[in-house]
Amino acid sequence: MTPRFALGDKRVRVWLGVMLPVAVLAFLFAYRATVHAQSADQLTVYSPQTTYSVPMLNMQGIPYVGLIELLEPLGSVEGRVDGKKYKLRFTPPGGHAVEAQFNEGKDKSKILGENYKLPGNFAQQNGRGYVPLNAVPEVLTKLLAKPMQLHPSARRLFIGDVPMRFSMSLDKSTPPKLVVSFPAPVNPSIANEPGRTRFTFRREPVISSGQDSVNFSDSAITSAVFAEHDGLAELDVMATEPLMANFADGGKTIIVSPVPPPPPPTPAAPAPQAQAPAQAPTAPAKPTGPRFLVIIDPGHGGAETGAMITPTLLEKDVVLTLGRKLQHELQAHGIAAWLLRNSDVAIALDQRANATNGARAALYITLHAANTGRGVHVFTSLLPPTTAERTSFLPWDTAQAAFLDLSGTVAGSVAAELENRKLPNATLVAPLRPMNNIAAPAFAVEIAPPGDQVEDIASPQYLDQVAQSIAAGVAAVRSKLPEVRP
Amino acid sequence: MTRRILIMFAVLALVAVGLGFYALHLKRKVARDAQTASEQQLALTPQSNGPPEPVTLYVADDNDGTLHKTQVSVAMPVERSERARAALRTLFTQYLKTASTHPIGKDSDVRQVFLMDEGTAIVDADSAFADAHPSGVLAEELTVASVVLTLNANDSKITRVKILVNGQERETLAGHADLKRFYEASNIGQVVKDMQ
Repeated sequence: MTPRFALGDKRVRVWLGVMLPVAVLAFLFAYRATVHAQSADQLTVYSPQTTYSVPMLNMQGIPYVGLIELLEPLGSVEGRVDGKKYKLRFTPPGGHAVEAQFNEGKDKSKILGENYKLPGNFAQQNGRGYVPLNAVPEVLTKLLAKPMQLHPSARRLFIGDVPMRFSMSLDKSTPPKLVVSFPAPVNPSIANEPGRTRFTFRREPVISSGQDSVNFSDSAITSAVFAEHDGLAELDVMATEPLMANFADGGKTIIVSPVPPPPPPTPAAPAPQAQAPAQAPTAPAKPTGPRFLVIIDPGHGGAETGAMITPTLLEKDVVLTLGRKLQHELQAHGIAAWLLRNSDVAIALDQRANATNGARAALYITLHAANTGRGVHVFTSLLPPTTAERTSFLPWDTAQAAFLDLSGTVAGSVAAELENRKLPNATLVAPLRPMNNIAAPAFAVEIAPPGDQVEDIASPQYLDQVAQSIAAGVAAVRSKLPEVRP
Repeated sequence: MTRRILIMFAVLALVAVGLGFYALHLKRKVARDAQTASEQQLALTPQSNGPPEPVTLYVADDNDGTLHKTQVSVAMPVERSERARAALRTLFTQYLKTASTHPIGKDSDVRQVFLMDEGTAIVDADSAFADAHPSGVLAEELTVASVVLTLNANDSKITRVKILVNGQERETLAGHADLKRFYEASNIGQVVKDMQ
């Protein structure tokens, strides 16, 4: 029998050359499609009730969103597969049920009895219905009877009148202050990098105010840039000096200003005030040498209330009052002090450490309160001591280890001052976050009721005594703590 | 030669089909694993029938901020991780009593104790343990210390402990004590000496 094909035949070599790559490519394509469908992007949805994320599936290059996932946080939703049809029933809280019907692989649908053509084909997967991302605003507008705003490239969807526009103004006094105002309280995460402070808004529906990039013509705070992407919004404030952010007006305003320079060399006690100022103390124009800055971190805040001292007295409020008193007392000793939290806002633990390290603090004091025990506990970090040098780069989880000796010195001094004022006290170590992440001498103070009456924990006399003890303890060992170059 | 070519084509075709099925299998496996993980529930600890034996507990006292070493008699299982869990449940029982010197949240329980290697124990507590735990630096530290030292006292091979809540890593116990780290029994032992 005469062979019709031979390996040496040119046609066979061409066939093999085509078939092998095709088989390999077919596998790679199928595998990629499988993996890609599992590792999809997220769409962030901002509604008046809540903010949530839903996964997006990439089907043939088009992003799709599941209807059940989209509607579940907004009310009661049922989806049912009926052959090639997908029937959806949605009931908003306290409202009437609305129905919609979609057809697998087709763009024809019926929502509230009206025909509607989707901008792409409807898809079903594992009994769930998916619509193309660009169909979401119109489908939801019909189902919820609310206006929608989709930012497709940023993966953000706004339901109803939730988008928040912000305004910025630079006060060019000395030091300059950038005031960023929002219509509602915000709680961004804050990251300090050389030349830039970034505010990341993950849960707040912050959108552009029309001008994404603003130049301030200022030597310290030079510009601000707003951007949104991957389901979040970011505001970058560019500066030539390290910046700090203070929250005011119940979290509706962020005041950004350079970290303050050293106070005047001769400590002059200013007149007592009812409350410490919420903003940076005024100071010489340019920091030139090392300076001694104490960061005071009143624990908790916002929804994170801390301990419930009594049914009407929360830890977050007690420590904020104590923090303000302590700031005033330190300033009275000629020591610059900043409150990490000066209003009722939640700040993530890592963010507290980031802000402190970014500000190159000379000392970090975190304040807490509890209704168990008695008196004042002064804690340093529960970390094994290390011989590591205090270099610019320290392991995040154990950054405090290199400063334990100095932390112990200042904690001991504070305990001695508490003793002088006859306040019951103890000096301990504790695994308290974020103290381990602080690259500076650091200690924590937890106050408990001074006697049998729990309410006395918030008495002005007690808080004054504690604040005076801490400030005196810090002032007594200030010369032993290194000043830090800004 | 014709036969060889045909066999080669057949093999290639089979490989292509096989790879397609393999890709489908992978996809289903990923979905199945995800479902299994979400539905996984831990079985209840079997009751021990063994004779009562002494169990050492480090019981916290909020009044003086210390840990007190005590012994109770409990029927213990044989298996090491079950013994560790039984010791912690005995400790929690002390804390859940009405007159406890260190109350913890109602329904607090230990779901599992995993012994990762000779020295490391992972304690998986339930949500109530963390969600309803009294908030405070010292209160939370005493709980963590008592868990670590109780485990070490009843199984000296356990020298390192990490606490999970409902199978998940948690940032803090109730706003203060770090739960993201491993605790060394020797380090905690030193803390207790300092407290006393």
